[in-house]
Amino acid sequence: MERSDGVGHGSAAAPGADVFAVDEEIGRALAGVEWSATPLGPPDQWPQSLRTAVSILLSSRFSMWMAWGPELTFFCNAAYRRDTLGDKYPWALGRPAREVWAEIWEDIAPRIDTVMTSGEATWDEGLLLFLQRSGYTEETYHTFSYSPLRDDSGAVVGMLCVVSEDTKRVIGERRMATLRDLGSDPSVVRTEQEVLAFADQQLGRNAKDLPFTLTYLFQADGSARLAGTAGLSPGHPAGPATLPAGGSGVWPVATPTHSESALVPLDGPPFTDLPTGHWRQPPTHALVLPLLRQGDTPYGFLVAGLNRYRALDDAHRGFLTLTAGHLAAGIASARSYEEQQRRAEELAELDRAKTTFFSNISHELRTPLTLIAGPVEELRTQLAGADARVREELEVIHRNGLRLGKLVNSLLDFSRIEAGRMQARYEPVDLSRTTADLASVFRSAVEKAGLDFRVDCPPLPAPVYIDRGMWERVILNLLSNALKFTFEGSIDVVVRARDAHALVTVSDTGIGVSQKEMPRLFERFHRIENARSRSSEGSGIGLALIKELIGLHGGTITADSTEGEGTTFTVRLPFGSAHLPADALAPPGDGRAMSSAASYVQEALRWLPDESAAEARSVTTVADTPGTSVRAVPARLLVADDNADMREYLARLLDGAGYQVDTVRDGLAALQAVRADAPDLVISDVMMPGLDGRGLVAALRADPRTASVPVVLLSARAGQEASIEGLQAGADDYLVKPFAAAELLARVRANVELSRLRTHQARWRTALVDSMQEAFFVCDEDGAVVEINAAFTDILGFTPDGLPYRPVHPWWPDAVTEAEAHRQVEEAFSQLLNNPKGFYTIPVTHRDGHRLWVTATFNQAQDPDTGCRVTVGTFRDVTAEHYAVQRKSAQAALGMRLTQATSLTEALEGALAEFKSLWRAERVLAVVSAPDRQPSVTATDPGLRWEDLPAERRDTLTAWLGRSVLTPLDDPTGAGITVNHPEGAMVVWVDLGDRRPFTDEDQLLLSLLAGQLAQGLARAHQIDQQRETALALQRAILGPAHLPEGFAVRYEPAGRPLEVGGDWYDVVPLPDGRIGIVVGDCVGRGLAAAAVMGQLRSACRALLLQDAAPGRVLTALDRFAAGVPGARSTTVFCGVLSPDTGRLTYASAGHPPGILAPPDGGVRLLDEGRSVPLAVRPGRDRPEGICTVPARATLLLYTDGLVERRRRPLTVGIRQAGEAVQAGRAAAVGDLATRVMARLAPAGGYDDDVALLLYRHPGPLDVAFPADSSQLAPVRKALRSWLVQCGLTPRMVQNVLVASGEACANAIEHGHRDRPGGAIRLRAEARADALRLTVTDSGRWKAPQPEIDTHRGRGVALMRALMHQVTITSGAAGTTVDMHTRIA
Amino acid sequence: MTTQLTLTSGRRPDGTAQLTVVGEIDMSNTDALASAIEATEGPLVLDLTAVQYLDSAGLSVLFSHIDRIEVIATPLLTPVLEVSGLADVATVHRVESFRP
Repeated sequence: MERSDGVGHGSAAAPGADVFAVDEEIGRALAGVEWSATPLGPPDQWPQSLRTAVSILLSSRFSMWMAWGPELTFFCNAAYRRDTLGDKYPWALGRPAREVWAEIWEDIAPRIDTVMTSGEATWDEGLLLFLQRSGYTEETYHTFSYSPLRDDSGAVVGMLCVVSEDTKRVIGERRMATLRDLGSDPSVVRTEQEVLAFADQQLGRNAKDLPFTLTYLFQADGSARLAGTAGLSPGHPAGPATLPAGGSGVWPVATPTHSESALVPLDGPPFTDLPTGHWRQPPTHALVLPLLRQGDTPYGFLVAGLNRYRALDDAHRGFLTLTAGHLAAGIASARSYEEQQRRAEELAELDRAKTTFFSNISHELRTPLTLIAGPVEELRTQLAGADARVREELEVIHRNGLRLGKLVNSLLDFSRIEAGRMQARYEPVDLSRTTADLASVFRSAVEKAGLDFRVDCPPLPAPVYIDRGMWERVILNLLSNALKFTFEGSIDVVVRARDAHALVTVSDTGIGVSQKEMPRLFERFHRIENARSRSSEGSGIGLALIKELIGLHGGTITADSTEGEGTTFTVRLPFGSAHLPADALAPPGDGRAMSSAASYVQEALRWLPDESAAEARSVTTVADTPGTSVRAVPARLLVADDNADMREYLARLLDGAGYQVDTVRDGLAALQAVRADAPDLVISDVMMPGLDGRGLVAALRADPRTASVPVVLLSARAGQEASIEGLQAGADDYLVKPFAAAELLARVRANVELSRLRTHQARWRTALVDSMQEAFFVCDEDGAVVEINAAFTDILGFTPDGLPYRPVHPWWPDAVTEAEAHRQVEEAFSQLLNNPKGFYTIPVTHRDGHRLWVTATFNQAQDPDTGCRVTVGTFRDVTAEHYAVQRKSAQAALGMRLTQATSLTEALEGALAEFKSLWRAERVLAVVSAPDRQPSVTATDPGLRWEDLPAERRDTLTAWLGRSVLTPLDDPTGAGITVNHPEGAMVVWVDLGDRRPFTDEDQLLLSLLAGQLAQGLARAHQIDQQRETALALQRAILGPAHLPEGFAVRYEPAGRPLEVGGDWYDVVPLPDGRIGIVVGDCVGRGLAAAAVMGQLRSACRALLLQDAAPGRVLTALDRFAAGVPGARSTTVFCGVLSPDTGRLTYASAGHPPGILAPPDGGVRLLDEGRSVPLAVRPGRDRPEGICTVPARATLLLYTDGLVERRRRPLTVGIRQAGEAVQAGRAAAVGDLATRVMARLAPAGGYDDDVALLLYRHPGPLDVAFPADSSQLAPVRKALRSWLVQCGLTPRMVQNVLVASGEACANAIEHGHRDRPGGAIRLRAEARADALRLTVTDSGRWKAPQPEIDTHRGRGVALMRALMHQVTITSGAAGTTVDMHTRIA
Repeated sequence: MTTQLTLTSGRRPDGTAQLTVVGEIDMSNTDALASAIEATEGPLVLDLTAVQYLDSAGLSVLFSHIDRIEVIATPLLTPVLEVSGLADVATVHRVESFRP
């Protein structure tokens, strides 16, 4: 802008320039204007009206300008110069307004005309004006009012503009909205592409600040590809699809690679024809901002076309940086999510492989099972007439074969369902009949259990398509379950038709299921622990399988249960076949196919007490067995003799007799052979090298596993003694060489038969035990393990050689290094010794040292031979399940912590605490690297700092910080991992303290959790950033931060984490020394209400400054509110207080009454000047009330959130507020505000916005003066008048004056002996019943020494005598005299 | 600049010297008070009826002439005179009111 110097600024002040004296600086510039060259003429000839207007203007601290006379000559005050005028100062002073504001004259001239011609004021809120005041065309916003100025005759000759510049607020709100929108993505997880598309959509909505944006992402070769644009048409030359690595492209690629921003001027091609965004002109510059990635090169960069009408200042740059930060966080989150997704897929693949394997194994099991079940079935028919023992044993085989088959089938079904290969064949049936038939199979078992069995299955109106085999499994499983858990009462099966569905319910009066267990009822492998039942058998897959099977039928199953009363399962199947795949339908069948029903019933019957079975077991004795039996398998004999000829002879002889013979050459070999595979009979020579025959017998008898193997000893020694000796050694028979072949064969046959009969049970048991998949063990009374099976060795690595295993068993975890695991096992072990049955899951150590988790099940039994109590148990290897569950629950727990965290610090601290408890670590540290600083430490030990760590540890951690992300770290005392932290590389270190092992499983879990943590931290960081931005912007629209003396305010928004709401307070110092007080309450809460509040607050403030009459302010505010959406029905209390007299003029627009607490008790309500809320009846005048705030009284203004509670009249709340103020009237006003807020808070905290304003009259006196005795009189004068305002008696006034005068005199004389002229401060504050005065200086007093310094000593004595309490505190910074006196 | 203080010397009807003090006495103007007292000889009546403020600095001046002065003062100064002990060692004539 060109400025001719038409109006000179001479140095000599014009006559009459005293009118400018109100403001020293602006006044000087105004005085320098050559007024005689203007239409106004020299100031000494100005009319009084102009002089008054100018002095009002200059004395106001509120931003104003005015224009006067025919050319509307321009004046302004200091605030206007500072806020708006910019570099037009002082040039603008005394010039025609048209010239000063040439660039916006088009906008403002019509408004000025209105004022000048009609004499009515104008009002504009947030008007956009392009100003030329800072060297460029600037986008600015102003809320202003033009009001007429009249000359002495009353004619309008000028105008006054009260203006508040809103640029920062408007632009801040706009930017905040964009940042908020960027963070408003409702979906938690997205791909990178979706994240960027969403961001572009949001950025495109702010075409004012971002005329266009481009997002480029770096590729592996250093080039960049275009990943998103906003505001720029596709294919525009300014947005090429790729940018080469070297930086020769349109945008600089190298600068953002180094995490720096670059400002690019947009001149010439390819920047011609750029989009203009919201404006008429395209941007002149673009900022290239890196999309920062912690600990790595940036993801890419954002090109932001800049708003040419705003300077690139800190706020502008900050906004763009936050925008880029948002994008980077989004990309980080998406990439991390993609990584997680990939990992999840890998795990799923692993799971599929497991299922396939499982399915294959199950198939393999089925073949031998069939080959067992078939012949056994056959044998049962053939041996129907055989003796009871044979039949009993066949039954055992049969039953267990069926049970095993059932289990394998269920498992196979699962694999099929999971693989989608379940072959179903749906045929139409009468579901009632089919179900009733199935139920009837169970009748005998149910009745045998003493329960009522009711089957209520009337024919259904339509057929239901089912796969018979599957349906059978559903019904039988449900019935078997019901029987298992029901001890008295009944079991009911009911079939009904309802709403195109068949409804089948199976209900029992059993123990029921607790509410806690219900959600997991249909979960696979989930078994309800410790439930009372008829059997502890069960795999936990029955109900899960049923649910899957019913699902295949297009049906549902639900359970309804009350603990202790019973359970009802309800199956719903649709009629017809429309819901089933057409190719799986079949014609009606014959209704057979009850293939597995028998197995369910057989199994169920075994749960019931069975007298006949008990008898059968007890008759297995030698006496009852027959002499001979048909034998399919030949007996196996072991011959031990050191004589080869004898061995061969015996082998030939016995082989010829149909035995299977093995030979060994001595006792030790025999012992090994027996232990490896026990034969039916051992024939051993007595005399052998090494271990002889008697030694062999003794060794065999000593081992429970071989104790029952019969031995026939052969000896060359004849005679009765020898034979007795042999038998005493434990041999079963004794034969003297030479012997007849027939004699030997007869003895062998007898012994084999005898032993077969005798050991049948034992061998059967051994075979059974060894065939178990679970590790089997027997403990004696002392807990020593005396027998184990093959699976035990497979699982734990301990062999039968080491038997007996006495406690502490070698598989227990180490008591020192794994104290907690050891304790668990110890506890479980005592349970095993003391309880008749039970089960538990414990950690154990494999012989080779690796960690296993096993579920142990045990039962106590009586050893039939010795009568001793033994414990029989099994271990099932649940290691994989255990870790899977541990991982799942750890991830869930961490996820919970991260979700609940509301800040980055909280998220990290929560995660560390979780890690600590998970691994029972001594401590967990997170160390975050920081450039140019030592790393910052967060630890589970509060207050732990980097320098507290040992130097060695610091070195290790520093080295680790350089590793790439998610690298597992290990050292002798713990484990760690590198994690991405939003502020830099981070190492999480789990300090295990001792040398406790950190297994691969632990490491895997740590990696999984670390990935989760990184994502959680990124998210928390994003929340932090948003909150900081939001808070900064919110504080900009809240009330004033600095209040005049005597006031205290509190603000409590309902909508956390917002700090603003619909309520507000305002304290406005007015030009004439009075103070405007406003408390208001907009309808609603949250951001929407805050936006309305911000406008009303500004408007009310401006109105008060223009016309300090509460009634008229509210009337004017009515008109304003009518035009602001959401402002209607706002309530406002508006008052104008004279701080010297306490006189308060006020008006209330529907607002709750103010409360006045006089010093002598009681409460008064300010309930005059009442009228309706804003904009309800605009245009009506509003009444005013007047009151005088007595000395030392307290005034409380508030919004209804303070006093309004549900189901309680408002008057109760107001009365309580009055009591609270009254009770605290002796407290300082700031403390009182805190107390009132606390005392009235409802139990759960305020649930509505609350604004509170307190004023104690008079406000405290606060004077600072130089240490000079000449200051004493003026200070005394000020204090005297304040004391009079406080309503004190003349005598009290005098006492206080003398006491404080002494303190001041001391400060002058002693406090500043060395520094004359230093500042002294006197502060006086009134309470309802007391005064407090403090005199502070910056010097140090000497202790009073009356003999040297008589009259100063006398001064202190005077202070003490005249006041109730005097405290003198002297320190390096100065001395403070604190005096209290009570007001009688 | 010192605090405003007016000192007027005169004689009582009985011929005793009298010094009438009007204003406020603090450390900024005690020198003037001291000079005025020292300018007199023999018994002196100090009329402090119109003194609205008297602090320890002023009292010190009075104490240094305690043997020859009598004081006339209003109740406004009573606490200071009593607390300092001046009322115990010098004659204080009390008048009920003062002229501001």
